[in-house]
Amino acid sequence: MTDATDRPESLSRREMIEATAAALAAPLLSVGPAAAPPATALPGGFLTAAELALLDALTDLIIPTDDHSPGARAALVAGYIDGRLAESLEPEWQARWRSGLEAVDGLSRELNGKPFMQATPDARLAVLTRMAAGEADPKTLAERFFTELKRWTVRGYYTSKIGIHVDQVYKGNVYQRGEYAGYDAK
Amino acid sequence: MTLVRVPPPLEQDVDLSKTYDAVIVGSGAAGGMAAHVLTSRGLQVLMLEAGKKLPIEQELRSMQWPYDHPRRGDAPPGSHHLSFNEYTIRKPPYAKGAAFKHVYSYVGGWSGSDYVKNILVDEKDHPYTGTNYAWVRARCLGGKTNIWGRLALRLSDYDFKAKSHDGYGEDWPISYADLAPYYDKVDLYLGISGVKENLPHLPDSLFQRPNKLTFAEVKLRESLKKTGQVLTPYRAGVTTDGLKHNRYRSKCYGRGACDRRPGGCDIHAVFDSPTGLIYPAMDTGHLTVRPNSIAHEVLVDKNTGRARGVAFLDSATRKSYEAQAKVVVVAASTLESARLLLLSRSPQHPNGLGNASGHVGHNFCEHVMGPGVTGLVKELVGKPHTLDDGRPGGFYIPRFRNLKDRQPGFIRGYGYEGNSGHSMFPAHVMDTPGFGAQFKKTVRDYAGAFISMGAFGEVLPRYESYVDLDPETKDGWGIPVLRFHYQFSDNERKMAEDMVATGREMLEAAGIEVVGQDKEILTEGWSIHELGTARMGTDPKTSVLNQFQQSHDVRNLFVVDGSSHVSASCQNPTWTIMALAWRSCDYLADEFRKGTL
Repeated sequence: MTDATDRPESLSRREMIEATAAALAAPLLSVGPAAAPPATALPGGFLTAAELALLDALTDLIIPTDDHSPGARAALVAGYIDGRLAESLEPEWQARWRSGLEAVDGLSRELNGKPFMQATPDARLAVLTRMAAGEADPKTLAERFFTELKRWTVRGYYTSKIGIHVDQVYKGNVYQRGEYAGYDAK
Repeated sequence: MTLVRVPPPLEQDVDLSKTYDAVIVGSGAAGGMAAHVLTSRGLQVLMLEAGKKLPIEQELRSMQWPYDHPRRGDAPPGSHHLSFNEYTIRKPPYAKGAAFKHVYSYVGGWSGSDYVKNILVDEKDHPYTGTNYAWVRARCLGGKTNIWGRLALRLSDYDFKAKSHDGYGEDWPISYADLAPYYDKVDLYLGISGVKENLPHLPDSLFQRPNKLTFAEVKLRESLKKTGQVLTPYRAGVTTDGLKHNRYRSKCYGRGACDRRPGGCDIHAVFDSPTGLIYPAMDTGHLTVRPNSIAHEVLVDKNTGRARGVAFLDSATRKSYEAQAKVVVVAASTLESARLLLLSRSPQHPNGLGNASGHVGHNFCEHVMGPGVTGLVKELVGKPHTLDDGRPGGFYIPRFRNLKDRQPGFIRGYGYEGNSGHSMFPAHVMDTPGFGAQFKKTVRDYAGAFISMGAFGEVLPRYESYVDLDPETKDGWGIPVLRFHYQFSDNERKMAEDMVATGREMLEAAGIEVVGQDKEILTEGWSIHELGTARMGTDPKTSVLNQFQQSHDVRNLFVVDGSSHVSASCQNPTWTIMALAWRSCDYLADEFRKGTL
């Protein structure tokens, strides 16, 4: 590869800039509940509709929408996790998610007398707060599940268009002209 | 500006009925360099590579966004990468009995495992036995240079004459003055980015445009200056200004892909052996490359005891072949080269080829790593996010121990590799406790405010540190595998303690709050800098090769990779491997013309 002449198979600077601009603009256009999964999304289908709704609610509590950027629901994080679970060849890992989601409902019944999705927003928050209390040294099933849930939520969110471009305002992965950003070692 | 993709040159047909001037086993940094030098001197060369020739740009896909990949860069189900725990608790062969379809070394566990799944070997087909060792192997054209870490450093006489300095081990049979002209050649032919620092223990290269430093790095650099220590921009084996003589490689455009992935560069601004060395060598018309060719024996002439060629298996058809050549150049990597020599037993060479000394496989050394520190630069919290990762590396703090001082606990030294600033994925996210709006804001505010560095230290070569052939276990092609007898010693452990304590002091002195430290030494092998299993020396009784990487026993056999290194130093070895190979192959070509081989 060289920086020389025009050839049919070449990618021009203009095309590069356009491609980059499109990538940056895309998340702003696709934000919101109507957002469709990307064409590359895995099919999913491991979780039941009820489980998926519960996971969706949990991820959006971990990374909610704020005045800076949309949260995990808008970034379709639950669907991404379900896609990974559905194609997994590790039944133990799949079982941990199923039992983890059950444990969330179990804890909700214990604290609020009803399943998570039927609880009030404050009551839901109380459940997740209890799960997160053991983050440094998780002991119960629900506490251990919190670590797994958070790991996959942040991984799904901060690798999404919304996470990278809108929340983190990431400026890289572009062809830079001339000097890199930063200071000279002088 | 336009980027033009130049396809690889057309391959020449392999003619196994002919006797080549030289056959090279391996196509990484050493094999590629041998091909470049020998073909430029007019020799007819055949190169055997055990792995495939990959469509590497399609493998690496450097600019692909995570969300455009169905698994955000992860490999498909059925693939497993070994973890530190597995390397520590279990014994090799690590893939034995694994339920997974494919098992890869720990490098597959870095983000972006899908981009290296065809580059790394499947541990299931490539077992080894013995002591714990995280052996990373890449079988494909170019080998590990396709994903290497890019830090390109010179050695100095503190390394070449280390025994004279502290009494341990052996001096190299060369000094810096012998190798300096060849380091220059490598710099100019392949391109290297960095800043001159005039350090006697880390000689400068002929640098192209350097990386910039971040605010945090400038802060640390200024603080270190007060005590005479140096933080310098990453000396990257990357062409930042471009190379007019190489049409296969672009200059670096600061896309940052090399640091977000296990490595690799699909525009080849980073040096890799195929585009940097092999394709240009093919363009001379003197190089024939045969991939999928697993060398398992260097063949010897029954009458003269000299090397006459290489026996290999086709990895796809499993058929056996022999390649004939006047000179055999082994460049299969430190450990695979030792394995090949040990496999090459004959009546004249009963202990393996070139092993009259009994030193093949011994004096095995590398770099110890793991210990490091992370600091928080408070001034950066809450600041707007900037583009910091668009550069081929962060910074390097060269060795400072046992140069003028004598440490009580250990000999030799270490250097730190480090990085700081914003990255695509906020690495501190799992260390940020809690959840919800405050968690999300904290992740955002603290992104880019951290600086981390980890040390690479010299592991002493010891005769007792060695590999040999396992008498029972064979690989997927029925070839006996290596058995490891190799463990870190007290010198490495004492040095590792100093790495953490000194790293803390450096950050604290710069007013950077230490928020994390790693004390744990990673499994042997983790640095992927294995060296020294066929060392050079002046005494044929205690060394395998002379100063030109030529076998003491067999004068038409050369071993031009890291196995020839006499000691590990603490500097990353790739640039030295290539400078040595260039020097030796110049000598080889001279002797070939004279008819002495």
